[in-house]
Amino acid sequence: MIAVLNVRESAYIPASGDSADRKPIPVLTVSGRLDASTVHVLERALMRALSQDTRAVVVDAAEITYISSSGLRVLLAARRQIRERGGDILLCSLPPNVRDVMNMVGFTALFSIFENSDAAKQAAADMY
Amino acid sequence: MTPMPRLVVPARHDKLAEVSKFVASAAMDAGFGETVVNRIELAVDEACSNIIDHAYDGGKGAICCDVTAEPGQRLKIVLIDQGHPFDPASLPEFEPCRTLDDVKIGGLGLHLMRQVMDDICFEFNLPGVGNRLTMIKHYDRSSQRS
Repeated sequence: MIAVLNVRESAYIPASGDSADRKPIPVLTVSGRLDASTVHVLERALMRALSQDTRAVVVDAAEITYISSSGLRVLLAARRQIRERGGDILLCSLPPNVRDVMNMVGFTALFSIFENSDAAKQAAADMY
Repeated sequence: MTPMPRLVVPARHDKLAEVSKFVASAAMDAGFGETVVNRIELAVDEACSNIIDHAYDGGKGAICCDVTAEPGQRLKIVLIDQGHPFDPASLPEFEPCRTLDDVKIGGLGLHLMRQVMDDICFEFNLPGVGNRLTMIKHYDRSSQRS
């Protein structure tokens, strides 16, 4: 049994606002099992997203089937990095088991979490 | 009491899912509900990660997993390794914080194990055995499968 994690990398471009402000916002759609053996896939995608001049990264967790502390650590590290430039990681569509794990360590009260990707993208656009 | 076949895997991160699923299957058979099964799977994953990263320090070795289910009563999980004794007390205690900037991430896995399991016992350098971690989850009404 091999754990599999996929991260689809796309960009959201807000429809409104000044053209200069309409920077693409990285959107990572994560699916599969997020544990110590697969976390590098998300880590690399986050690093690519953070290397862009962006203040927001949306992480759509709807299809994450499992998360361990390895996944939490990577999300936390990415958030710390983007906070240094006044930005944020916006999580959305958390499955119940992922929300449960985040609750156990108090992260749901600390991360920016949205019900769906539209809400997260809108919040990301509002940051500019 | 229903002992499951023993599972022995190389101490590698790519084997975490196999051990977790092995234990999750036993927990489901014992009647635990989905939420509790997911949490038990998490505790085993974190325990095995600690063995791989700390007891074996990323080197070669094996993890042996025994599960005993007492349906309606409890699930007992025993993980055995022959790595360096890993004293969890050597890790900093994870402390939930009011802001993410304050979070000290060390000990996160152990914190999750303690949140999930009712009893955890570490034993080191047992003659003819090695290091043994015993974790027990008691069955209660909130554990029931819906």
